Amino acid sequence: MNLQDDPFLSISNTIMNPYVSEWQKNNKKVIGHYCTYLPEELLYAAGILPFRIRSTGHKHTDLGDIYMVRFTCSFVRATLDMALRGIYDFLDALFICNSCDHSRRMFELFDLKVFGREEFMKQVQRYYVSIPHVITDEGFEWYKREIEELKENLEKNFINRIITHNDLKLSIKIYNENRSLLRKIHELRILDAPRLNGSEALQISIANASVPKEIANNELKRIYNVLQEKEGIKEDFKRILLVGSEVDDLTFTRLIENSGAVLVSDFLCFGTRNFLDDVKIVNGNTPLESIINKVYYRMSCPRMMDDHVRRLEYLKNEINRAKVDGVILQRVNNCDLYGCENMMLLHELKELDVPILNIEREFYQADTTRLQTRIEAFLEMIS
Amino acid sequence: MEEKIALENRVIPIRMLYESLSTTHQLVEEILPENGIPELRIALGKVKNTLRRNLEKAREGLPIVGYHFAIPAEYISCFECVPVCLEGTGYYLSTLLLDGVEKYYDLMINWGHPFHTCTAQKGPMGMVLDDLFHFDAIFAPTAPCDNTCSSYPFFKLEKKFPLILADMPFRRDRRSYEYYGEQIKKSLFELGRVIGQEPDFEKMKKHIEIENRVQELRFEIFELTKAIPSPISNIYNAVSAGTFILVSGTQENLSFYEEVLEIVKLRYKKKQHHGGEEKIRSIWPYMVTYFDMSLCEWLDRELGVSVLFDIFNYNFAEPINTKSDLDTMFYDMAKKGMGWPMVKQSTDFYYASLENCLQMAKEFSADCFIYTQSLACKQFGSFPQLLREALKDELGIPMLLIEFDVGDKRFTSLKTIKEKIKMFTQTLM
Repeated sequence: MNLQDDPFLSISNTIMNPYVSEWQKNNKKVIGHYCTYLPEELLYAAGILPFRIRSTGHKHTDLGDIYMVRFTCSFVRATLDMALRGIYDFLDALFICNSCDHSRRMFELFDLKVFGREEFMKQVQRYYVSIPHVITDEGFEWYKREIEELKENLEKNFINRIITHNDLKLSIKIYNENRSLLRKIHELRILDAPRLNGSEALQISIANASVPKEIANNELKRIYNVLQEKEGIKEDFKRILLVGSEVDDLTFTRLIENSGAVLVSDFLCFGTRNFLDDVKIVNGNTPLESIINKVYYRMSCPRMMDDHVRRLEYLKNEINRAKVDGVILQRVNNCDLYGCENMMLLHELKELDVPILNIEREFYQADTTRLQTRIEAFLEMIS
Repeated sequence: MEEKIALENRVIPIRMLYESLSTTHQLVEEILPENGIPELRIALGKVKNTLRRNLEKAREGLPIVGYHFAIPAEYISCFECVPVCLEGTGYYLSTLLLDGVEKYYDLMINWGHPFHTCTAQKGPMGMVLDDLFHFDAIFAPTAPCDNTCSSYPFFKLEKKFPLILADMPFRRDRRSYEYYGEQIKKSLFELGRVIGQEPDFEKMKKHIEIENRVQELRFEIFELTKAIPSPISNIYNAVSAGTFILVSGTQENLSFYEEVLEIVKLRYKKKQHHGGEEKIRSIWPYMVTYFDMSLCEWLDRELGVSVLFDIFNYNFAEPINTKSDLDTMFYDMAKKGMGWPMVKQSTDFYYASLENCLQMAKEFSADCFIYTQSLACKQFGSFPQLLREALKDELGIPMLLIEFDVGDKRFTSLKTIKEKIKMFTQTLM
């Protein structure tokens, strides 16, 4: 069975999907968000569907360009563009945190220009969470308070009931199972003869992020069984690790994989970084504290200023574990966070003697030929 | 002697800055007529004196402490050290040297620093890569932008300089000020541990009190700018920004504003405009060009356009209470730090900035806004159109948007900037 034709995975090609419609038909709310520092477990425990905002399939930014200058991230600009065209009108609320300078300004822009547009009558709530930029005890306390306030807000303004320990425990169980399934699938990806490629893994990850996790878990189990039976990829290919900023469109990963590579692992927001850590209820912590603990201390992204060494060590380990032949560092143009992170990695990973390609791109494949040439040349260079 | 030179060589860019500033000062004194651009003259003299003192301290072997521009310099006056503002040094050099610090930008870009990151950090990073700086410690907040968050770790990771971070929340309320106040206090103790000194908070208080007075003077100058014609010269904005971040907390800074205030009062009394005739009153919600400050004079004298203020000259903090307990002082210090230019806008939503701009446009009788959008400042990248629409809808005031790099003339040349402003002002007259 070709995974690309799997009906569940086709969800990764669209924004709206039947599961979201069904969810809303039952009078349940959908909250849009950009960042994994918002604890999905908490929202799900409140009976709310968290939906990661993405720009999949979109090819324009002209409306977004009105409100965001060209030096900003084209991924975020594209999501704004989509929202201005009504594509995100289905959201019941928007939760923003200060993940990066680009996405956090969506708080005001959605408020004033998307939800504030004349023909749009729906009342969409917004909420903002401030996340520390360092991983410290005081930072943890700050973040904890933010999430406790978020919980109170959800109870008061969204569901009109208390989110109980049991709600949270159930949600933790579902999300832990979800991550566990994604990790199991990932193990099939790093095999010598991978059962799936990086584009398929990304499809799984995106689809997984777009539906209720109970449904996702059933689908992931099914996909895992299919993959176990599947024959691995045996052709001659280069094993590549893909690192960097948001990738939510298959055209980029396919461009790499159609050039003679398999993305055997990644370090992406929509990829492995999202399922590395589980929520563990230990040391007499409440379920909420356990969720907060996991989200705050999990494998970070470059927005955390003091955690680069841990990210580097993880990558070094993954390069060995997945028998990586080469690393592609990529970023969406104007992403300062990954721009500098990739700069450091470019120098630091040299000690592993692994070939590295550092590229910048736009949110969709606007410059395919240039990228293809660079990627093909890089793959040819790998002995 | 050799030892002293070696010690001074830990801060070669400060020597470069001192030398270029002294030459410029001498040139300005000898070429300009007696009353020509007094704000510039005074600033050059004051900054020069402070730099000379810092170089002497470096020669004595005092620790070199780099600090981010969003840390008010007086906060590290609790130590006997050589304070070096990274962004201030880079941008002042970009003004004073013929090709600015392009060499160091290019050095960093070749090393992998992306073209779209901030030149305020790119310059000092290049200098560090070229071994021109040897810091004993670097002190920075985790704000106001992604550039800060992503660039500062370089100093620690590549050069092993101890990096002390005060985490600043992106939220503005009592809890945020308490948190950030604690972060500043903790960071100062950590900084002291790294450089082997106990923080002397009594000494710091004296420098904070100087800045409390400076704030009053700056605010008085700001208020006088409401007058028509504006009694400040455009270049005041640029040099004030320089002193603001380079010599904050010093007697030199205080006397700079005292002397400027006298000049401004005199112009105010005489209803005198520095450039001759004021034709257009403009507000620059972001910055003027640092790579070439001659733009300020050109606007004043050739176009009759007053720059009423830029971002460094319309943000004011309440005085810090030095008479109460330490916690109160650190709370106020946090408030001031979070109200710092750019930090204030970054740690808050746009709503307050929009309101503020509209209010200032009315109070200062502005004819237009000129919004310089710097390549690196992503946190401002989604503000211009909101502001433009608000100004147009509520006050009927137009806004010109110019995309540029504050510290690199190669991105948008001065000629292009002048052309754009000239064409824009023609539509106003």
